[in-house]
Amino acid sequence: MLLKIAWRNIWRKKLRSAVVITSIVLGIWAGLFVIALSAGVNQQRKVSVIENSISHVQYHDPKFLEDRNAKWVIEDIDEVRSSIETDTTVLNYTMRGLVNGMASSARGGNGVIINGVDPEMEPNVTTIDDHVVEGTWLPPEGRYPVYLGQALAEKMNVHVRSKIVLTFQDRNSEIVAGAFRVAGIFKTVSKKYDEMNVFVRLDDLEHLLHTENGVNEVAVLLENFEVIPPFVERQRSKFEELEIEPWNEISPELGYVDEMMEIFLYLFLGILLAALSFGIVNTMLMAVLERKRELGMLMSVGMNKARIFAMITFETIAIAIAGGPLGIVLAWLTIVYFQSVGLDLSFYAQGLEEFGIDPIVYPYLDVQYYWTLALMVIVMAILASIYPARKALKMNPAEAVRAI
Amino acid sequence: MMLLKLAYRNLWRNKRRTYITIASVLFAVFFAVILRSMQLGVYELMIENVVGYYSGYVQVHKKGYWDEQTIDNVIYYSDSLSVEIESRGEVQHVLPRLEGFVLAATQELTKGSIVNGIDPTKEGGMLQLQEKLSDGKVFELNDRSVMLGEGLAEYFRLSTGDTIVMLGQGYHGISARGKYPVAGIVKLNSPLLNDNLIFMPLPEAQWFYGAEGMVTSYVLDMNYNDNVPKFTRSLEAQMDTSKYELMAWQEMMPELVQAIQADSAGGQIMLFILYMVITFGMFGTVLMMTAERHYEFGVLISIGMKRWQLAITVLYETIMISLIGVASGLIAALPIVLYFHNNPLDLGGRTAETVEDYGFEAVMPASLDPSISITHATIILVISIIITIYPMIVLSRLKPVKAMHV
Repeated sequence: MLLKIAWRNIWRKKLRSAVVITSIVLGIWAGLFVIALSAGVNQQRKVSVIENSISHVQYHDPKFLEDRNAKWVIEDIDEVRSSIETDTTVLNYTMRGLVNGMASSARGGNGVIINGVDPEMEPNVTTIDDHVVEGTWLPPEGRYPVYLGQALAEKMNVHVRSKIVLTFQDRNSEIVAGAFRVAGIFKTVSKKYDEMNVFVRLDDLEHLLHTENGVNEVAVLLENFEVIPPFVERQRSKFEELEIEPWNEISPELGYVDEMMEIFLYLFLGILLAALSFGIVNTMLMAVLERKRELGMLMSVGMNKARIFAMITFETIAIAIAGGPLGIVLAWLTIVYFQSVGLDLSFYAQGLEEFGIDPIVYPYLDVQYYWTLALMVIVMAILASIYPARKALKMNPAEAVRAI
Repeated sequence: MMLLKLAYRNLWRNKRRTYITIASVLFAVFFAVILRSMQLGVYELMIENVVGYYSGYVQVHKKGYWDEQTIDNVIYYSDSLSVEIESRGEVQHVLPRLEGFVLAATQELTKGSIVNGIDPTKEGGMLQLQEKLSDGKVFELNDRSVMLGEGLAEYFRLSTGDTIVMLGQGYHGISARGKYPVAGIVKLNSPLLNDNLIFMPLPEAQWFYGAEGMVTSYVLDMNYNDNVPKFTRSLEAQMDTSKYELMAWQEMMPELVQAIQADSAGGQIMLFILYMVITFGMFGTVLMMTAERHYEFGVLISIGMKRWQLAITVLYETIMISLIGVASGLIAALPIVLYFHNNPLDLGGRTAETVEDYGFEAVMPASLDPSISITHATIILVISIIITIYPMIVLSRLKPVKAMHV
């Protein structure tokens, strides 16, 4: 009954209610979309880091993590390999040798991380071979091929089939150099990564390092995110002398950016809703004050204070409920639409690439955001109704009836 | 004047409504100014860290050096050219630099590093080596020693007095090799530089690379506040551009400019949404005010007040509300902005690591740029003027007889 009255009251002043409702719809729609955009950017960055470089789980010698010196290899690599191969939750794995060094061409030198990889295993774990823009991924045959990033290739002015020299320290701390021929050039979304990483075959690297076993890193891709913690547990108990880390420990900032983003987005939503509530409070206050006479009449004929209060609160909530779901549904439709087609931000592409972000953004929003927001809207409406409702209660019925 | 007085009195006829509208404007301006100050403050710091303390806002190189940054693209250092540039008021000093690349090594470790040959006597205002020294001392121009970024020193576990070996490629392909004691360790603001940079006295660097008397760049020591693009163009006009290239930092670092633009766009979108919501709130108030005063407007027009006079009164009212709101919003934001300008927000723990991963200092100072306040005050005022179009339309169509017939 009260709800019905409240709903009818709203439509007594159509334009006024329409303005408030429109502002709620637009505010929520735009706010949710921007949040989905930020969350999408973040999600893409996370997936790209996991797919392109860190994988789900990595094995290292603990000393390697301290100073990234190539001499800290995984000693019992054969046992690690067989243990990974027999685990049913493993999709794929790969082994790498990592050395800091210098890549030089006729144009000069640049500091790089030399990734010694198995050309057949690596593509099963990372997508680095898909990013080729010129030439091919490391071939299994042929003398000393190298696969390098476009940004580095441009800096060094080299092309496919150009020769470059990689210089680094071997196991005995002697400086060694090897001439490599460019097999392919790649471009990932991160310019910094492209500038810093070159890929060679692990056996070529081992040859130059004068060693049989040059594996510093084993990267494992598992079936899904859920099986990661138990897998890490099992492996840790088997290889106590190794450092075995899941993705969120290898790159804690990935998980942390998630949390930061969430806090920031809720903060933004809060500010937005607070701004909306100013409009609502103002409207409702007007509605109460201009109905002084009517409210006074209602009180005089015996409507008690609790009911008056409830009626005003219902009116406010009704406005929020008329606007909120519409805004949420519009946002949901827009997000779903752009999720399938992607939003092209290539106008800012170079800047985004600096942060390792693909210029085509797919907005993404967790379902819980919609529910949280719906709840926040209702809470806001209740809070916004308190002041006007109290104003209504404070009226003296006898005086109110006499008001114009 | 009469109308202004009338408008002012009208405002206080319905205090509560005025207060709420002022509060919503205050709220918008307050958040807009704080958010924007923080954002722009971070950009200023970014630019200062990456550009102001190291590469300078303007550089002169041999033509073609920037596209092909090799030690072969060097120019003879000419005193007359540098005097000529220094004669321009904006430039305090012209700093000669010879920048190259080496593989630095100790017994156990190697790392590709940037070597920068500098004149320590001239760099005082720019690199501020003395202020950033965390260990040892700044080398003299004729010393045969190096200074390391703190991150690089930590990687090599080197301290003052230890020796570092450097291998590189010199001028016209000669091999550059040398062994140098570490004179000092400096903490550089940009983590990227901090982890990769080796300073060397310029004459020693010229010897090391076999490029006697030559430099890769002249770095112009000037202020960010000077109009850098304008200055660059005017200096370019008086230089031999077939021989030299003159670059402002925006050209040298388009990625930084675009990264800032991309990030800034996000903030602007959020402010746009905030303003949109505030606009509706203000419009709602004006709408109600107009409806409520229909009777009054009718009376005033009947007794001979001109419609335009009434319209201006309403405009004054809206502008006054906005002005009070904007002013109180700015006043409320000021202490917070000032506080964070002087005590930048220190991002702790893992957030700091993330930010440093991107190559930036992990603090958030607020910008005191007055254009922020001016921009947002203007935006609100423009919004309020646009909103007043509604009562104007109502007034122009108002039929006094009907209006008084409530």
